[in-house]
Amino acid sequence: MLDAILQNLPYLLGGFLTNLQLAAFALAGGLFLGTLVGLGRISKRPWVYYPVTLYVNFLRNIPLILVIFWFYFVMPILVGRTMDPFVSAAVSFIVFEATYFGEILRAGFQSISKDLVSAAYSTGLTYRQTATHILVPIAFRRMLPSMITQSIITFQDTSLAYVIGLQEMVRRTTIVDSIEVRSVQLYSFVAILFFIICFIGSRISMHYEEKSRKAKVL
Amino acid sequence: MLAYKFDWGVLWRQPYGEWLLQGLWLTIQLGALAWIIALSLGVLFGTMRSVRFWPLRIIGSLYVEVFRNIPFLVQLFFWFYAGPMLFGKTLQFKINAISGLNYWVAIFALGLYTASRVAEHVRAGFASIGHGQYDAVLSTGMTPLQMYWYVMIPHALRLIIPPLTTEFLTIFKNSAVAMTIGVAETTFMSYKIDEQTFHGLEATTGAMVIYLVLGMTVVKLMDFIEARFRIPGLMSR
Amino acid sequence: MIEIKNVSKWFGDFQVLADVDEVVQRGQKIVICGPSGSGKSTLLRCINGLEPYQKGEIVVDGVSLSDPKTNLYKLREKLGMVFQRFELYPHMTVMRNITLAPIKVRKKSRQAAEKKAMELLERVGIPDKAGAFPANLSGGQQQRVAIARALAMEPACMMFDEPTSALDPEMIQEVLEVMIGLAKEGMTMLVVTHEMGFAREVADEIIFMDAGRIVERGSGDEFFKNPKSQRTKDFLGQILK
Repeated sequence: MLDAILQNLPYLLGGFLTNLQLAAFALAGGLFLGTLVGLGRISKRPWVYYPVTLYVNFLRNIPLILVIFWFYFVMPILVGRTMDPFVSAAVSFIVFEATYFGEILRAGFQSISKDLVSAAYSTGLTYRQTATHILVPIAFRRMLPSMITQSIITFQDTSLAYVIGLQEMVRRTTIVDSIEVRSVQLYSFVAILFFIICFIGSRISMHYEEKSRKAKVL
Repeated sequence: MLAYKFDWGVLWRQPYGEWLLQGLWLTIQLGALAWIIALSLGVLFGTMRSVRFWPLRIIGSLYVEVFRNIPFLVQLFFWFYAGPMLFGKTLQFKINAISGLNYWVAIFALGLYTASRVAEHVRAGFASIGHGQYDAVLSTGMTPLQMYWYVMIPHALRLIIPPLTTEFLTIFKNSAVAMTIGVAETTFMSYKIDEQTFHGLEATTGAMVIYLVLGMTVVKLMDFIEARFRIPGLMSR
Repeated sequence: MIEIKNVSKWFGDFQVLADVDEVVQRGQKIVICGPSGSGKSTLLRCINGLEPYQKGEIVVDGVSLSDPKTNLYKLREKLGMVFQRFELYPHMTVMRNITLAPIKVRKKSRQAAEKKAMELLERVGIPDKAGAFPANLSGGQQQRVAIARALAMEPACMMFDEPTSALDPEMIQEVLEVMIGLAKEGMTMLVVTHEMGFAREVADEIIFMDAGRIVERGSGDEFFKNPKSQRTKDFLGQILK
């Protein structure tokens, strides 16, 4: 009964690996860009605040699948040749997820008391030094549970790279299904794989939430 | 930079402009109908997660965990490709022959998925109402079922209008995924325009504008509902 | 050392500071008191450029804050500040709290900065807490670390914004002792506080502020025994009960 899965296991798991890789890039880039976005959203300089706010509000109203398509169409024009779907997808994800991480970090930044920032400035630290050594570390620690949750969502979202033909797990499952026609087993398998990773991730997030609730240190 | 001639006229040239608008109509249908399922099931499972009777709590939690931790695309494919097979060999072919099956499966899957998120908001709403009201209502002799139906659920729903607005917006965004099973909604149409004209960039940009406008309309609608059903003295804007 | 000339500040329509004039000489200890909302904290924050002001001028060691060319960061190195709620960096040890600015701003080596930090911790009485995190310290200990952190930048003047107001009574004394020690060593100090005992012992001049204005200033005993304005009398009556 599980033959369809077992025979195609390396092929399917190879696709799953692609999802993981895409998620890794999306998270690394999304967190970095998201930090800049978060800082931009609390900036007092209007030429920073307004463009960043526009960017965030724009992208949060559009389906990710459309953003994936849009970059798929845009990038060949910008770069001058056809693009590897992985690269196009990675860029879409980084730009998209950065808005969500940015908003999470913004909440983290805003939870830091103004006087703490004043204390840092009063010792002569510059904005850049204060942001790097004080704002970002504290915000990351405080918002860790939310960031883990968002990372899980990002991982789930990598399945959408299906639409530009990326050889990730969902696409490979449909390919195998078109040959084997064991839909129930195959789609259950991919569902269970995602479920396990995401469930573990959500438990980790809850663990950190409990920990910070009890400690109340930061 | 590749030499690319922009052709923004594609957006309102027939039949392409009309395709996008037809797609919008379908997006609205998908979102609205799925939302009805999502609200009903979400309230049901959210309530189940909050009652004292633990078997119901377990069922509710199971539902939420399963539907929250699997990507929507995977759920959609499961129901569309594997779903008919669950009915056995004879029924399976009859089901697959239904015209517009993808439309109904999309609404069903979207509703089921979103319900798990609504359930969490409902649970949070109950948690914030607090124990006192629970005890007060029960002491007037109502059964728990009556209490939930007449008091707790209406109260919680008003409290959670902001997160529900986010979910309502999200349901329209997720409706775009239905394009993968051939539902002719907005995103599908923009892709189709690209297939015909090779001007996918303009088409998808146009689709983005459509989603933006739709989103703003939804927010205005929910603002209106919130104002209409506001609980005086409970929260200020 | 610090000259405040006719400074006024508004938050929107609300005037927070009104025509404030004051000169702080090197080595002077000035205590500022007054009801809450009188602008005392805001004045301190204007002096090191944390808050802007709309009218007037503040000059620190010859450098004017209104001058757009002024490097506020360099200016802040000269002015150490201690806050009511200590504001230690919660994610760093005591040692790192103190050495962060000297390393990043003054470009000191880690050894040099840590050596100085240990000296400062000795001076404030808690050398054994160098590796602890702020959350493990009492309020009084945290505030003493905050003082050490400010001293690490070797400022010419130390400003204190109600340093003991958030402390439990048992711990107020240990912090005041550190501050008195500083005063005796000749540090220029600007202290916003309600601790009149401290003011009596240490202050060269006491300023009473109300509604953004300096209502009265006087030195030591004269201020307490013969307050000139009625508002001062009322205020002193309240806090010296």
